[in-house]
Amino acid sequence: MVREKEVDPGELIQGTLEMLILKALVRGPAHGYAIAEWIHLTSHQVLKVEEGALYPALHRLQLRGILSATWGASTNNRRAKFYQLTALGQKRLNAESQRWARLSAAVAFVMQAS
Amino acid sequence: MPEGLHDFLLRLSSLFRKRMLDREMLEELEFHHTMLRDKMTREGLPHSEACIIAHRAFGNQARWHERLREVWQFQSFENLLRDVSFSARLLRKSLGFTIVAVSTLALGIGANTTIFSLINGLLLRPVEAPHSEQLTLIGTYQKSRGDRGLSYGFNAPYLRSLERLKQSGKLPFTDIFGYFGTLFQVRGNSGNEEIRSAFVSGQYFSGMQVAPLLGRYLTPQDDVPGGSSAGLAVVISEGFWQRWFNRSPDVIGHKLIIANKPFTVVGVMPKQFKGADPAQRPDLFAALADEPIIDAPYSMVNSGYHAWWLNIMARRQSGASIEQANAALAALTNVVIRDSSDAGFIKDALDDQTRFTAESGSRGFSYFRVMFEKPLEIVFAMCVGILLLACLNLTSLLMARSTARERELATRLALGATRRRLIQQLLIESVMIAVMGTAAGLGVAPVLSRMLAAMLLSAAGQRAQLDTSLDSRVLLFAALIAMITAILVGFVPALRATSGTLADQIKDGQYAKQSNQRKSLIPRVLMATEVCLALMLVVCAGLLATSVIRLYRVGPGFDPHGLVNLNFNMAKQPLEGDSLLRLYKQIGEGIEHQPGVKSVSFVQIVPLSGSDMTESYPDVHGQDQIVHANKIGPSYFQTMRIPILEGREFSWEDTKTNGSKIILDQTAATLLFPDRNAIGQQISYGKNQYQVVAIVGDAKYNDLRAAAPPTAYTPITQDSFSKGSYTAVVRLEGPAAPFATAARSLTTRLAPDIPVPVLTTMSGVLEDSIASERMMAILSVYFAFCALLVTGIGLYGTLSYATARRTSEIGIRMALGAQRAQVIGLVFRENAGIALVGSAAGVIAAYFASQVLASFLYGTSTHDPLVLGASVLALVTIACGASLLPALRAARIDPMAAIRCE
Repeated sequence: MVREKEVDPGELIQGTLEMLILKALVRGPAHGYAIAEWIHLTSHQVLKVEEGALYPALHRLQLRGILSATWGASTNNRRAKFYQLTALGQKRLNAESQRWARLSAAVAFVMQAS
Repeated sequence: MPEGLHDFLLRLSSLFRKRMLDREMLEELEFHHTMLRDKMTREGLPHSEACIIAHRAFGNQARWHERLREVWQFQSFENLLRDVSFSARLLRKSLGFTIVAVSTLALGIGANTTIFSLINGLLLRPVEAPHSEQLTLIGTYQKSRGDRGLSYGFNAPYLRSLERLKQSGKLPFTDIFGYFGTLFQVRGNSGNEEIRSAFVSGQYFSGMQVAPLLGRYLTPQDDVPGGSSAGLAVVISEGFWQRWFNRSPDVIGHKLIIANKPFTVVGVMPKQFKGADPAQRPDLFAALADEPIIDAPYSMVNSGYHAWWLNIMARRQSGASIEQANAALAALTNVVIRDSSDAGFIKDALDDQTRFTAESGSRGFSYFRVMFEKPLEIVFAMCVGILLLACLNLTSLLMARSTARERELATRLALGATRRRLIQQLLIESVMIAVMGTAAGLGVAPVLSRMLAAMLLSAAGQRAQLDTSLDSRVLLFAALIAMITAILVGFVPALRATSGTLADQIKDGQYAKQSNQRKSLIPRVLMATEVCLALMLVVCAGLLATSVIRLYRVGPGFDPHGLVNLNFNMAKQPLEGDSLLRLYKQIGEGIEHQPGVKSVSFVQIVPLSGSDMTESYPDVHGQDQIVHANKIGPSYFQTMRIPILEGREFSWEDTKTNGSKIILDQTAATLLFPDRNAIGQQISYGKNQYQVVAIVGDAKYNDLRAAAPPTAYTPITQDSFSKGSYTAVVRLEGPAAPFATAARSLTTRLAPDIPVPVLTTMSGVLEDSIASERMMAILSVYFAFCALLVTGIGLYGTLSYATARRTSEIGIRMALGAQRAQVIGLVFRENAGIALVGSAAGVIAAYFASQVLASFLYGTSTHDPLVLGASVLALVTIACGASLLPALRAARIDPMAAIRCE
């Protein structure tokens, strides 16, 4: 049963968040903070990723084998957990971005209709 | 790797490093927090303010941590635990229901597991040998045998010829070997003992490929007359090593006296080695070539081409298929036959289109397999019927019960539980019932199967032993049927119970206007099927039991009650001829003086013991007639209570010098002398002239099911064989136990050289001769009884649940003037319809199903109207009883109380 919830314009529904995380990792391994920052900046500060949503999503992706995680040193030399796309993750990202392209184009068509 | 599996494995591994994972989660969150704070500081905020803002932006760290922990938890596992404890509480609450449910399932699963362990032990379990799939069973096809034409008994010369052919590389075998299970007389501390043993040919052990625990096994060098240069050798089992030598390591080289000849122990075989026959498990193995020494004077080897006694198996070369082996054997059959020097034998064998065949021998070969395969399959089918019945019954009960819970379930659905979750929970309940039922069933199965195996093999006495213990195959089978049962039983009720919506439920509630028709088809069909199945089982049981009763009633022609047998094995003692006869006479007189003994005599072949002997005598026209033959002592007919129609018994005075005497039974007398009185007539046989001294009543010889064959009796006092082993038949009055002790001490006094005679009762012999019929009858009657009980419980349970829900409707009817009798009729009709439809279907189904029993029935038609009628009557009576109770209870409803409940 789907329960309705008040949706904050900046909050992301889960499927989309996962897609954005995958996209953020295309450029290489990154830790949670960097992912959140990248999404925030790249979206011209429109999308804000909640920490309470980001980390459960990251861990779920890791459990499903879409991401792998290693501990390493961050730029300021602190120990941080770096996430990385697996082969499965790469495949998933391709599928997701195609789906998204179709979906957004379709929505655009509808909204542009006079 | 699929995502689900990856997920599961990672979660599983996380269970073992929970603390480290927890620390890492904390560190990860902490890092994010720090980065946020650093960013604020970089943007020029003072440190304290940066801390506050970062903290606000980040939110409650402890909550995020908790959320991460949840991600890693085994959600479904924890739900499962909750469901299990909830179901356990429910089952405890309705203890009566639980007990009925578990015991019906235990009955079904226990019966199935019991029969399956027998089938497993006899028919399925592979031989304990490496690469048992290479083992090949050799058989013989003969046209005259009809049907499939296969037999598995071979003579020793055939085996030797096959060995030679294998040696020259013409057969695709690495080893070919014969074996025969028997009893050896071994000298122990207190005289000779009979030990379960086997004769094996030279390549037996190399073919079985099981290494000895100690010493060496027998080789072709041992399998020559007189044994190898080191003398006669014997291999013993680990069990025998334990019992006789207390596991002493210096057993190798020890001498064992077998059949009064010294044999050297050369090896010990490990416990798991059971030989090639699943029903044998020999303790001693001797070479086939030693058989004339051990079995003297009745050697099968010396009987050459005319003794069909050995089973032959072979190990195929790796890569060789059964088809190749079959083709090679078929091509060489005539070569083997022509090795005989007997032209008549060769002609007979060739005329019979004799052909050797190969089939898989991975499960070894047992004579009992041929005998019990079909009965066991039929009993197994009945077991499956019982299990199905138990399932149907449980489904009906669960369904009736869950209608009572529909409201609770609909409420839970409305409150947000998913249907899947509810079905899971209901299924867990049925799984728990199934698990408990299986556990109870498995608990009793080993005991029951051991009892059944003993009952089936009792005819073979000491010679056979079947391992029916629970192995992985039986456990797997039990687990499988438990799982199938749980799903069969639980799924339909769970689906149906969760299909309603709360609105319907609240509307219906306890109100009288409930829509009864809407849902009642499935339970009715289930119950009718149950009745149909129960009727089939009852009819089968009725037929089998009637047949066995008729077998007993027809009787063997003698009176088995109070008759006991003592077998004397005289082969290994020094006396023979007249002096041996004197010993028999002494023994007979000694027995006659024991308290309780009415009369005593001797016989060569105990009737119905499975052996037989035939002779051909000329009739009045000089035509040879085949007549069953037996050798008997004086006052045999008096002891057996076979009527003497004319003439006299044999006496000790009928010696060889007094002219040969013969006694005919009625059938033989009419066969040989159709036109005159046989008394005083002469029968010429070889150079002997037999004089008929008596005509006696017919008696069954080797098959209780068949008519008594024509039989001719000759006196043991005129036996041409000088070292006959006869069995004493003793007519007793009173208990057999004290007599057994007396007889044993008498034998040790009079004949210290012979093994202590084994006492059997004639009733036992009779029962053993129809062991499979008896087993089927006893089991099927038991199953039928259970089926009736289970069906009764089912009909009663479902009707009382249904009636309980109609309390207010019935209350209103009564308030409006319905009479008690009408109410009884109303409730009763529900089940009457089910019982009628079920019985009708059952009669039709039983009519066809009983055909498979035809070959096991004696003097009973598969459509015996009496049995069919009685079965229907029994079922209808049970159904009426089960329906009447809820109906009577409904009639006692107080209308006021019922309506006030609304």
